[in-house]
Formats: sequence, C-alpha cells, structure tokens
Amino acid sequence: MAAAIRPMRLAALTRSRCSIFQTAYNPTSARTGAKYLRARLRGPSMVKYYTPEANIAQIMRQWPGLEIINFAEEERLRDVEDKKKRGKGAPKKAKEKGDSRRASRRR
Amino acid sequence: MPNARVLRDIKARNVVKTSEVLRKAYLCVARNETLSPQVRHQAQLQLNTFGKYTRPTTVKNRCTESGRGRGIISEFALCRYQFRLKALNLDLPGVRKASW
Repeated sequence: MAAAIRPMRLAALTRSRCSIFQTAYNPTSARTGAKYLRARLRGPSMVKYYTPEANIAQIMRQWPGLEIINFAEEERLRDVEDKKKRGKGAPKKAKEKGDSRRASRRR
Repeated sequence: MPNARVLRDIKARNVVKTSEVLRKAYLCVARNETLSPQVRHQAQLQLNTFGKYTRPTTVKNRCTESGRGRGIISEFALCRYQFRLKALNLDLPGVRKASW
C-alpha cells in the first residue's frame, strides 16, 4: 500500500511542473487578470465582417480627372430641386439666433 | 449605401479594434487581485472613460445584404429572408431546398 503523499510534496511537484511548462505558479488561484492578456485580439477579425463598398464620392474627390457619374448623388440633387419647386424644400438657415423659426414660434 | 445601423456597427467595429489593446491593459490591471486597491481603482476609472463603442459587446453581426439585425444565419452572415433568396437563386454553394 502506497503511503499518503504530503501536501508539501504535491506543491513542490506543481511548482516544478510550472517551471518546466512555463506557466504561472498560482496555488491560491488568485485573479491576476492574465486571461485578458491571454485572449486573442478580436478587433482584426471584427472589422472584416462587412465587405467594403466602393465610395464613389471619395473616388471622385481623389481623382477629379476621371469621368464618373455618381447616379445616387445626381438623383438626390434632382429630388431636392423638385422639392424646392413644389415649395417643400428645407427652411432657410437662420443667420442669427433671433431669426430662427424656433424663436418666433408661439408657445 | 448601407443603412444607418450598419454604418454604426462598422464604426463600432473600427473603434473596438483601435482601442482594444489599451482597454485590455487596463482590464488586466483592474481585475488583478494581487495589485493594490488604489491602483486597481484608478485603472477601473480609466476604463469608465472609454466610449460606448469601445466595448466589443456593442458590436452586432447584422445581415451583410439587407442590414437586418434579427434572424441572422451566422454561417452565411445573412438574415433568414436573404438566405432564402440567395439559396433559391443557387448563390450559396452546397445549399439546396429540402425535398423528400
């Protein structure tokens, strides 16, 4: 029958195991915050989720010589013109605080 | 042009990526029980100054096609309806409508 192993011996065994396999010796299991450092960085894979979309406005700004038509922007401008003609455009910006529509509104 | 919620998600992803290393360093200090309470508290206060979008939990996987937030089949990063449309259109390799 094998004799009972003393706790001291077990601790020594764990310590030497830690030194061999290069892990931290932490017999009391105190929280050292190592798990935050051990975890892989998640950001690089996170930013890859959506496939990047070509920004036409940005391309046009970068190379002004290129003859590209931004159809979405043209359509938007046409819509704004249409709305203005029908008197449905955005209100004029106030030059001063007193001119603002909010100031003249009745309470 | 993706919808506003997708744009917000893209922004969150970029912010998470840029602040990730610093945030982890502070987290490690704040959660370390072997350090003094003062140091840990200071680290926690620093963590609290980080913005909303620096937390990885604010990032949500949305449908890459329609931007929908619910009913996402994560393997394809599509919502259930876009998944159905694409599968029926044979755009997803190996996916077929069941029939027996």
